[in-house]
Amino acid sequence: MAENTVVKKKKKSGPWREVWRRLNQNKAAMLGLLVMVILILAAIFADYVAPYGYDDQDLMRRFQTPNSQHWFGTDNFGRDIFSRIVYGAQVSLKVGLIAVGIAMFIGGALGAVAGFYGGKIDNFIMRFIDVLLAIPSILLAISIVAALGPELRNVMIAVGIGSIPSYGRIVRASVLSLRDQEFIEAARAVGADDTRLILKHIIPNSMAPLIVQATIGVANAILSAAGLGFIGLGIQPPLAEWGAMLNSGRQYIRDYPHLTAFPGLAIMITIFALNLLGDGLRDALDPRLKN
Amino acid sequence: MNKKRISLLVSMILVMAFTVVGCSGGSETPPEGETPGTEEPGEEPGEEPGETAKDTLIVGMGADAKSLDPHATNDQPSSRVSKQIYETLINQNEKMELEPGLAESWDQVDELTFEFKIKQGVKFHNGEELTADDVKFTLLRALESTHIGHIVGAIDGEKIEVVDPYTIRISTKEPFAPLLAHLAHTATGILNEKAVTEAGEDYGQKPVGTGPFKFANWVTGDKIELDRNDEYHGEKAKVAHVVFRNIADNTTRTIELESGGVDIAYDVQPTDVTRVEENGDLTLLRDMNLSTTYIGFNTNKAPFDNVKVRQAINYALDMKTIVDVVYAGVGAPSKGPLGPNVWASNQELDEYGFDIEKAKSLMAEAGYADGFKTTIWTNDNQQRMDIAEIVQNQLKEIGIEAEVKVIEWGAYLDGTANGEHDMFILGWVTVTGDPDYGLYALFHSSQHGAAGNRTFYSNARVDELLDTARGTADPAAREAAYKEAQEIIRDEAPWIFTWTGEDLTGTRSNVKGFTQHPAGHHKLAGVYFE
Amino acid sequence: MYKYILRRLVMLIPVMIGVSFIVFTMMYFTPGDPARIMLGESAPEVEVQRLRDELGLNDNFFVQYGRYVKNAVVHQDLGRSYITNRPVFDEIAARFPNTLKLAALGVLVAVLIGVPVGIISATRQYSLFDNASMVFALVGVSMPNFWQGLLLILLFSIQWALLPSSGFDTWKHMILPAVTLGTSSAAIITRMTRSSMLEVIRQDYIRTARAKGQKESVVINRHALKNALIPVITVIGLQFGYLLGGAVLTESIFGITGVGRLMVDAIKSRDMLLVQGGVLFIAVVFSIVNLGVDILYAYLDPRIKSQYK
Repeated sequence: MAENTVVKKKKKSGPWREVWRRLNQNKAAMLGLLVMVILILAAIFADYVAPYGYDDQDLMRRFQTPNSQHWFGTDNFGRDIFSRIVYGAQVSLKVGLIAVGIAMFIGGALGAVAGFYGGKIDNFIMRFIDVLLAIPSILLAISIVAALGPELRNVMIAVGIGSIPSYGRIVRASVLSLRDQEFIEAARAVGADDTRLILKHIIPNSMAPLIVQATIGVANAILSAAGLGFIGLGIQPPLAEWGAMLNSGRQYIRDYPHLTAFPGLAIMITIFALNLLGDGLRDALDPRLKN
Repeated sequence: MNKKRISLLVSMILVMAFTVVGCSGGSETPPEGETPGTEEPGEEPGEEPGETAKDTLIVGMGADAKSLDPHATNDQPSSRVSKQIYETLINQNEKMELEPGLAESWDQVDELTFEFKIKQGVKFHNGEELTADDVKFTLLRALESTHIGHIVGAIDGEKIEVVDPYTIRISTKEPFAPLLAHLAHTATGILNEKAVTEAGEDYGQKPVGTGPFKFANWVTGDKIELDRNDEYHGEKAKVAHVVFRNIADNTTRTIELESGGVDIAYDVQPTDVTRVEENGDLTLLRDMNLSTTYIGFNTNKAPFDNVKVRQAINYALDMKTIVDVVYAGVGAPSKGPLGPNVWASNQELDEYGFDIEKAKSLMAEAGYADGFKTTIWTNDNQQRMDIAEIVQNQLKEIGIEAEVKVIEWGAYLDGTANGEHDMFILGWVTVTGDPDYGLYALFHSSQHGAAGNRTFYSNARVDELLDTARGTADPAAREAAYKEAQEIIRDEAPWIFTWTGEDLTGTRSNVKGFTQHPAGHHKLAGVYFE
Repeated sequence: MYKYILRRLVMLIPVMIGVSFIVFTMMYFTPGDPARIMLGESAPEVEVQRLRDELGLNDNFFVQYGRYVKNAVVHQDLGRSYITNRPVFDEIAARFPNTLKLAALGVLVAVLIGVPVGIISATRQYSLFDNASMVFALVGVSMPNFWQGLLLILLFSIQWALLPSSGFDTWKHMILPAVTLGTSSAAIITRMTRSSMLEVIRQDYIRTARAKGQKESVVINRHALKNALIPVITVIGLQFGYLLGGAVLTESIFGITGVGRLMVDAIKSRDMLLVQGGVLFIAVVFSIVNLGVDILYAYLDPRIKSQYK
């Protein structure tokens, strides 16, 4: 989780505390952070926050509009929409984090290797990334989910693979700029081997753009997963996923628009908050860009 | 100077955009002056400029046809269009009774052979006259078809005999009672040998038939246009043109009906029924069709190899509520494997009903008092997914923990054919209205797996009954056999009878003469505007 | 310059090979037999096997792939769709104009909104307009376009009955899809324009112009704009390329017969040749658009251009 990493990761308190201070001054970013914290807490403690289970059908009480017992109303099976939104947050955040994790790990590794060793290896890896980029990410994700089966785990993989290029490029660019700097030469002179160099020096120095990209990346992953859910390739019912809720509520949109309104809003607010946070992090991490 | 370059770019973009918009206004406008969809929604129907609009019937379907070669595909949208272009030897009316089609009369020569007399003077859309050679050509080509070969599969290709230009003898390899019904299937529409050979691989886009409408144009993925066949040998079609529009989204199709963008909308969804019925400008037609939806058990896998478990689950489900919720009053809960429209269907079978106690005691008797874990397979059809979700919920009451697996159509067919499933939801259409079509492939032990029997059900007596009924021409004997077979199937419960379908078509109120055919391929020649 | 273009074009080839290989591999290992799907659940197994033989589906991976490449390269034959038996190229060609139109209109909407708003926001930084437009830009990026499409249909087609909700025949049909598609691009372009303008405005030569006493509007129009817009143009180009492939959801909602929807249906039907042909086609178009954008950027930015003189 982005904001935890910012606070916990490094022992050197100086630079990170600076970042945190700058972030604090950005009201919009703090709002985004607040919303995300609320969402994450709601997701973790979903069992306590949600008044009903996500699968509690009550066929006698279908299509209720928002009322005191069901804050967001009920859906076509009589399930409480508010509870399903809360559980949906669990799903979306999980997908977002894991997909970005996969992409960062694989992409970062590829980028680091490419930038560090250069030459043919660099060429080959960059061509591979070009191939991934040439295929529209939605189609890539659909193909992967179709190949592996419509399950949450496969959605994470599919979305993750599609995001590899951006992390690959970021890390590679970082590596290229750092590779010839003095402290690397110094470290090498002392006898550090390549892997150590990559892990201990290069990757930490590309953290800043990675963090920003990751925040935006989680947002994109959530959107992609919702898109897949919307097409019907997302998850298995009765699991609550916001995109899938939009899809199943779609046929009732003329009579019961609240079935689609709430999941749509949920997605939008989450992405909005993540974007605010991401922008804020970008400004805080590199104040030169702010003005 | 750089600024000029930029303004140049901007103007290029603008020009490109306007050209794009402008071009579309021109080239996409279909001929005849009417433009479906350009009317303001809310405008009254019939106010279109020019009276040519009333000459064109616009039908909204949920998908584009795949091919207009009846041997190249067996899907619903294609058949619905092909039905207007081709004709079969025998017709089945809306009551599924057999009537002469291109064959004026027929005689049973021996227990394997029928002789058909073909109507004379019938012209194909390309001017060629229909002869028995075309019929032979069609049947031989049909037998080769991987898509519909099984529909004509009983016919012996070596023994199709052209006696004279208007007489043909068709024999089956074994006595096959439903032969005549099969020859009324849309897939057996008669083709013109010359047209097919000339068009080669592209025949699917250049169909030639004898029907009341001939093919005019096909905008891929968008619409198919047909013109009236003025040389038709029978009563000419009442409207001059028909356009089949592909409108995939159900809600949108209804909106188009309301706004007059289409005159007829096929497959109105249950949630729109009230809306269409209450709309004074629209008429809703509802007729039971030949489709059935069922929940099946994989009888090869424990615990579903135990009939008590299967019966227990039957008792545990409140099927009436399920159908009510999922289908909102459309169609009806099934009473057996065959729907009421199919001849010899047994509508008097004992219903299991909703009895949790009975279910629990049966489960205990079977040794599963504590329930078990299993999966329910379904494809991504919305209604089936809904059924699965409710069933999963209801099964909790008897301790069964079911996981719903939504599998994409392709993988679904594969997996169920291979027997990887536990419980599954599927459907079947008894297109010929003959019980053989609706029972043999589904319950005969020779049809396990991909052929249709995905419950892997085997019962020697049922096999015997189905084989006998297929081979004898005596209707009374057939009926008795089928009725008994259905009883056994009910008792052994390889299926949970779920839903029998209903065709819902919405039309504008000024559309008259439209009737629904239970097989789903509705004829449009008799439709006219008031 | 030409050598650069040529080199980039040549580099497309291995990328295209990579794309076709990856797509082919994915389709090959996807469960679901295209023959079975075509024939339906009621067809006898014997027929399914026969169809598999006809389509060459029983050959091993390399034979099938080799056959595909040979047909594509030597005979310019991308095969026929399993479902309709129409040539793959025809299927794509019939639908590509719609996708192209949609993407172009989407970009148009994005530019018409994004560029002016971005410029004004930059020149009036921190004003109400600026803040409001930044909020709207964020909303535009955050709103999932499939939800937006549904909302627009609900409002304009159902509630107010002003615009049609499906099809793509007349200009009225095009408004809602273009707006849906263009909104997130508009947001991106707004932000990009704004930040680019801001960066340019702070440059020394702008300060010099102001110090010289030039009118503010002249400063903006003659000096700042042209340089600020350069990166924006590349973003526009990239967005166009992205929209070409990414319009899948919008096409689905509005029932537009475009390449994106064709691909989704083809993937679902395991129409392997169509998927391969389609993705390859989109990839080629996308790469060419990217190349065009890069060339354009090099051409417009005098700093880069001078490298090639």
